[in-house]
Amino acid sequence: MKSQEIDRIWHWRITAGAALLLFFVMLLGVSFGPIPLDFFQIVRTILGLDGGLQDEERILFLQLRLPRVALAALVGAALATSGAVYQTVFRNPLADPYLLGAAAGAGLGATLALTRGNQSFYAALPLFAFVGAVLAVLATFLISGKSSANPATLLLSGIAIGSFATAFQTYLQQRKSEVLRPVYSWILGQLTVADWQVIKWAGFYIVVALFILIRMSRLLDGLLLSDEEAFSLGISPKKIRIIAIAAATLATATAVSASGLIGFVGIVVPHLVRGLTKRATNRALFTVALSGAAFLVLADLGSRTLLSPAELPIGVITAFVGAPFLLFVLRAKRVLN
Amino acid sequence: MRYGDFYALDHLNLDIPRGSWTCLVGPNGAGKTTLLKTLLGNKAYDGSIVIDGVETYKHLRNVAFVPQRPEIPVGMDVSEYVMLGRARLDGWGRESRTSRQIVHQMLEKMHLSGMRHQLVAQLSGGEMQRVLIARALVQEPELLILDEPTSALDLHHQIATLDHIESLQKSGATIVSTMHDITLGAMYAERIIIMQKGRVLLDGPSDAVIHSPELKTAFDDRISIHTLDNGRPVIIATRNSS
Repeated sequence: MKSQEIDRIWHWRITAGAALLLFFVMLLGVSFGPIPLDFFQIVRTILGLDGGLQDEERILFLQLRLPRVALAALVGAALATSGAVYQTVFRNPLADPYLLGAAAGAGLGATLALTRGNQSFYAALPLFAFVGAVLAVLATFLISGKSSANPATLLLSGIAIGSFATAFQTYLQQRKSEVLRPVYSWILGQLTVADWQVIKWAGFYIVVALFILIRMSRLLDGLLLSDEEAFSLGISPKKIRIIAIAAATLATATAVSASGLIGFVGIVVPHLVRGLTKRATNRALFTVALSGAAFLVLADLGSRTLLSPAELPIGVITAFVGAPFLLFVLRAKRVLN
Repeated sequence: MRYGDFYALDHLNLDIPRGSWTCLVGPNGAGKTTLLKTLLGNKAYDGSIVIDGVETYKHLRNVAFVPQRPEIPVGMDVSEYVMLGRARLDGWGRESRTSRQIVHQMLEKMHLSGMRHQLVAQLSGGEMQRVLIARALVQEPELLILDEPTSALDLHHQIATLDHIESLQKSGATIVSTMHDITLGAMYAERIIIMQKGRVLLDGPSDAVIHSPELKTAFDDRISIHTLDNGRPVIIATRNSS
């Protein structure tokens, strides 16, 4: 019999598949390393059953591996989702989470913390980076003023603020050249700082921001159209745009301050999901978040194991794997038509 | 409605009855599209536009809009695009079964079923226009605003599309459209408003307006009006020399 309704635009099976993928990738992430841990023992430990990990292995798992993998997942989800949201808001497939000056602002904040030079400022680095990112995005909004409703103006203001913050950061770092190395390694991104404390506060902001964005996914779809069309669909484009940018910036700023600058996740993952599912709708956001988490957990695994016992900066891995993969998907699916 | 010192709309006073079809005609730059967008409520204006006693900009209403130049989203296929029209009725949540059935029926009606998996960015002008109208119709709007709904369509689809709009009107919706093809406009709309330089030149029942001298004035006397054997008026452009 001929079907009397169209297929679901978004099927829950895709989301479930991504969740399953994330689960297995995280399992891989916690078991691989200089000291391999047993899969089944890990699962038993998580479920609180007998026959789980013991002694040093248990500590290694609970205090080192698990927080690190969890942070990678959180940061990956935050960057991928806010990337997808920025691409919608700016109707620009090349928009990334650092677009509005968040990265440069965070970099400036981090450099300020490092040039102070004493230990207490080192500990406050995430806070400095967070404040820097939020201030930069606010400045972007203030500069574009009344016309901030226009995506192009906002984008250009973001570039201006970004350049300014980067210039200032370079100036600071040249004046105090001993911070060059720590600044540089922070800019390349690192997840080594992961502990449960970081995960608690970063997790809170990221989960709240992503929850808001995922809940408003069909409203966000309206921003893919002209403002008049969005309005006629019952969407207030200006309001939605501001809420979306605020939530995406909160997620980005939190991710940057917890883990430094990890590039490419925000572009690669959304396009991968869109390319593979052949869907442009923001209904994909939850799947994008899960896939971003899986992507970064895998990248972190690579950064820990490829040059073991040394570590590659995770930003190098994401760009190294992400760039060619993105090109492949774009060519195969002609997402950019 | 003003752009700098230029008034795109000036001293307009219109009353549009529920369930009517009003067609705006006039030369380019007369303010037709601006009036449509102002009705939509997404443009600031001096004065007042009221639907059911509520100022339009204060309340997002179920008003569908078919623009002349839509923003084409990247990577979106036809069924996904038409489903956008159901988002509000689905309460912004997941798409309901009813919505999927309604979109299915609409795609069949508009001869779009075969291309439901095609990207909207790859459609021809006429196909895109049908997709836009399908999106507007699945909204089940109380007011439907159309900017040149037939300009990109072949003759067969012009009539088919206007028939769909008319059936929506018969189910109680109010229609306001612009149309360059005045002949076609007069066939469907019961009321025609001639606009010139942001003002209403003439407003009345289609038959009366189409035979009025003001129509010629609005187009600088560059049109002539003929009547066919069956009594239908036909309007054609004339050249300077004739």
